[in-house]
Amino acid sequence: MTWSQQIVALLKTYNVQFLSYVPDAIGEQILKLARQDEYFDILPLAREEEGIGVVTGQYLGGARGAVLMPTSGVGNAINALASLAIPYQIPLPLFIGLRGDLGEFNPSQVPMGQALRPIFEALNIPAYVLTQASEVPPVVDGALKLAFALEQPVAIMISTQLAGWKDEK
Amino acid sequence: MINRLQATRYVVDNLHDEPIVASLGNAKFDLYIAKDRPQNFYMWNSMGMASSIGLGLAMARPQQTVVILDGDGSLLMNLNSLPTAAARSPENLIHIVWDNRQFELTGGQPTHTAFSTDLATIARGAGFKHVESVDTQADFEVVFDKALQESGPWIIVAHIDSERSPGRPPKSAALIKHRFMEALGIQPV
Repeated sequence: MTWSQQIVALLKTYNVQFLSYVPDAIGEQILKLARQDEYFDILPLAREEEGIGVVTGQYLGGARGAVLMPTSGVGNAINALASLAIPYQIPLPLFIGLRGDLGEFNPSQVPMGQALRPIFEALNIPAYVLTQASEVPPVVDGALKLAFALEQPVAIMISTQLAGWKDEK
Repeated sequence: MINRLQATRYVVDNLHDEPIVASLGNAKFDLYIAKDRPQNFYMWNSMGMASSIGLGLAMARPQQTVVILDGDGSLLMNLNSLPTAAARSPENLIHIVWDNRQFELTGGQPTHTAFSTDLATIARGAGFKHVESVDTQADFEVVFDKALQESGPWIIVAHIDSERSPGRPPKSAALIKHRFMEALGIQPV
């Protein structure tokens, strides 16, 4: 299985039926598989912060959701994470396509990309970076298990080492 | 002009065990006074998120009506949620927006609806088909009854007075969550 097939399989294992997203090239590798699978119910968002509320509502209603977003989108979602998902104890797997790191061509992506890990650390959100395919099953399995046991957000950053970077110079 | 507490009482009195998501500030304060019930989800922060939480709840519970009590300032902070919800169009969603044209809690500063913004027009532009704008309690009751009986999603913009609510629900987010989920019959982890 490819890394994205492994993630899709693990989402099903953990009964994560709902996927909300703001598109990016990395997350799309997961979504294009999920769209072919009737198990998943996929919601396009206009802004990443909405996804924090949507997954909160889904969990309150007895269902499990995850949010896929680009690196920039974490900046759009921080207050909802801090003032909704964390205090109300909502398990919220975040899949983030990591920009602003290895292979980045766009300097405007770098400050947010480099800030992600300290931001998650400051909020006490467990955060993991996937860099190679062999890490995907244990890290994603473990992160999902942690999220639903702890009932808190958990961030999974998918690096360009794993997913590839853009050809643009 | 509608009084928010009076209209909130009408909403709660006409529901059974349907969940209500109440936005931070006066929307949830008045809901607490009107009727504290475990199916009330009180938001203590994350301004703007009521509309998104309600959408997620409506998606997870398609057989049950979900009511959102929002404010003009809160909805203006998350206008993105309107096209998202309209595209999904959950039939079981009733989104009520109390519009007092001000940020009442922080000193009455005007919101954009005090000038030229009309939230009902924005909702229609976002793609909602059932949008009502009401100015009296009688009209509010007629529209809310209709929303309970006919498939939505519904957006009801209620023009209210500027009365401040003294209601203060419990502040423990964990308590609010757990009793809400228990009332909906969801087993704890």
